[in-house]
Amino acid sequence: MTWLLLVGIPVVSALAVWMTPAGARASTVLLVTASMTSIVAVVHAALPTEPPFLGGYVRGDATVQLFAPVINVIFAGIAVYVRARVAIEPASRRFVFLALGFLAASNLALLGNHLLLMWIGLEATTLAAALLIVRADVPSSRLASWRYLLFSSVGLGLVLLGLSCLTRSMEMSGHAGTLFLDEMPAAVAGPADGWRQLGVALTLLGLGTKLGLAPMYSWLPEAYDEAPAPVTAMLGAVQFNVALVLLLRVLHVYRAGSGDLIAGQLLTIGLASIAVSTASIVATRNVKRLLAYASINHAGVIAIGLGLGHSASFGVLLYVLSNAFIKAILFLTAGKIEAHYGTKDTKSIAGLIKDLPFSGVFLMVGTFALLGFPPFGSFLGELLILSALVSSGQMFVFAGFCMLITVSFVATGRTIFPMIWGEPKQVRTWPRQRLGGALHKLIFLVLLLVLGIYIPPQLNVLMNEVAHTLEGP
Amino acid sequence: MNPILIAFVGVLMLPQFVASWRLTLFSLSLQGLLMAWISYDLHTSLDSVGAWIQMFDLAIVRGLAAPIALYAVLRGQRASARHDVIPPNLMSWTLVLVLVLVAFRFADMLLPAGGPDHSFVAAACAGVLLGVLVLSTQTGPFSQMAGALGIENGIAMFELRGHHDPAMQIAQTLILVATILLFRWYLKTLPRASAVKVSAVEGMHP
Repeated sequence: MTWLLLVGIPVVSALAVWMTPAGARASTVLLVTASMTSIVAVVHAALPTEPPFLGGYVRGDATVQLFAPVINVIFAGIAVYVRARVAIEPASRRFVFLALGFLAASNLALLGNHLLLMWIGLEATTLAAALLIVRADVPSSRLASWRYLLFSSVGLGLVLLGLSCLTRSMEMSGHAGTLFLDEMPAAVAGPADGWRQLGVALTLLGLGTKLGLAPMYSWLPEAYDEAPAPVTAMLGAVQFNVALVLLLRVLHVYRAGSGDLIAGQLLTIGLASIAVSTASIVATRNVKRLLAYASINHAGVIAIGLGLGHSASFGVLLYVLSNAFIKAILFLTAGKIEAHYGTKDTKSIAGLIKDLPFSGVFLMVGTFALLGFPPFGSFLGELLILSALVSSGQMFVFAGFCMLITVSFVATGRTIFPMIWGEPKQVRTWPRQRLGGALHKLIFLVLLLVLGIYIPPQLNVLMNEVAHTLEGP
Repeated sequence: MNPILIAFVGVLMLPQFVASWRLTLFSLSLQGLLMAWISYDLHTSLDSVGAWIQMFDLAIVRGLAAPIALYAVLRGQRASARHDVIPPNLMSWTLVLVLVLVAFRFADMLLPAGGPDHSFVAAACAGVLLGVLVLSTQTGPFSQMAGALGIENGIAMFELRGHHDPAMQIAQTLILVATILLFRWYLKTLPRASAVKVSAVEGMHP
């Protein structure tokens, strides 16, 4: 029952911020709230799992124990960033209210034991994020926000339609239609009919839209580019994982009966996403867009891993967790770089390591992790997915994957590394960077290394438990 | 086929053939009201909280609030009367008819035995497909809103025969209300052409 603190604390804080003239202290409220929910999530991860409660709508199983700490710790890191920049860009009461609403809705979706409740949580994060993307002084951010909302509404509409088809399938086979996760496996035990196949296909397509997968990915580069850096990190590292958990829940229930459909659809959209993002990575000169395309690329890798199931499942989880920290580090660093130089053009930026030493180091190390270098968790995760591709005989996908990843690897390195080395092209005055202001990114980096070098036994048990639910028959 | 469902499909097709934003909003309003009528036919006694919430969602939110909210903005902007939600050519009009036929064929495939569900599935599918057609051919915010709301209505039609917990229904209705308020805000604040000049560096504005 105490899991509900993850929703209750941000809701109370949001109301407090809305009703009191918090002013400059609003960002402190954000930081304190995010720290509290992080502590609650980490403590609960160490406790035994809880059966469904609150009428069966909420539960704290291994998946929640694995993802809640990640999401809340990353959100706390984002709150540190917002607090650290308060002197330069004071966070408005509106921003903090929406960010806290976003956090509460994310946690609600994560805790859901009912697919419709998870859907409602995800929709609520979308509505909050749409407003957060808008920057008052940048008209194009409004357009990006609109496209984000439009694609999200359509994608989540398809998910809702898919869920309706799934309940219809249960009713057609003589079971009571249910979306409670603990009741669904019994209701879908029979052979897959047309309704179920349609429901699974629509749900995967809709969730693919939220994850930025092809074919409905075009909102992502624009939204990630135009949004303020903390919001981009929220979208890429928090909302992405909430949508992914919903996908994991659907896969857990339906892999047994619709394995071939799921594998075919996820492998296809995964490979297509890697292909379109690779072409865009080669072409772009905008650092935030490059990172956005890399996110699509990574979503493609995750889709392929999920499509394979079996031995790829542990690799996918490792990749997903690493990816969350990588995106948080890189998007927050990109925001700092953009604020410093007033441009996102990679050709106009050089000598970061001299000019902004901490940002330079984080961009460099983050890019190595992004590209899947050892000793980061992304390396091991990608290796396990590749190995599963070979062992499952998907040689065409394996060849395409390797070729495209190599191209994106070279293109990303060619664009990012010249920004880090050499002489600065612009002379800017800026207060000397202090380690305290970058502590959150340092913590993310340490966690990233932990995932690659030594996974603590308790985390390993949790990951194995969640991976087991994804393996399929 | 139920005459109200026939009327619903007709109303869905109306804005595709008559280029007027007023008619588009009128069509959205009628879709909501017709769905409310169908819902009333299904739950005549209105004896459950869920039935009342569904009625509120369909008649008040979809049938009245959403079209009126968007109407007020467009009227305030003195938008010109003509507004195409799909390109006005024979190809598009044929496509509309083909999509409606596809929707019925699709319902045949899913429910080969026919039955009362068949018409619901066909009408819902037509709503979704026509909404997708509008979204895939238009770049203006109002047309895109009309397409998105058309898809939402198609999904609502599909869900008419389903049952959910009243708390879930309330949450879904609140989400819809918030979405409509956001749509209204975007319609007010977005440039009508939605064309933003982009410099040689992708995504960076001059």
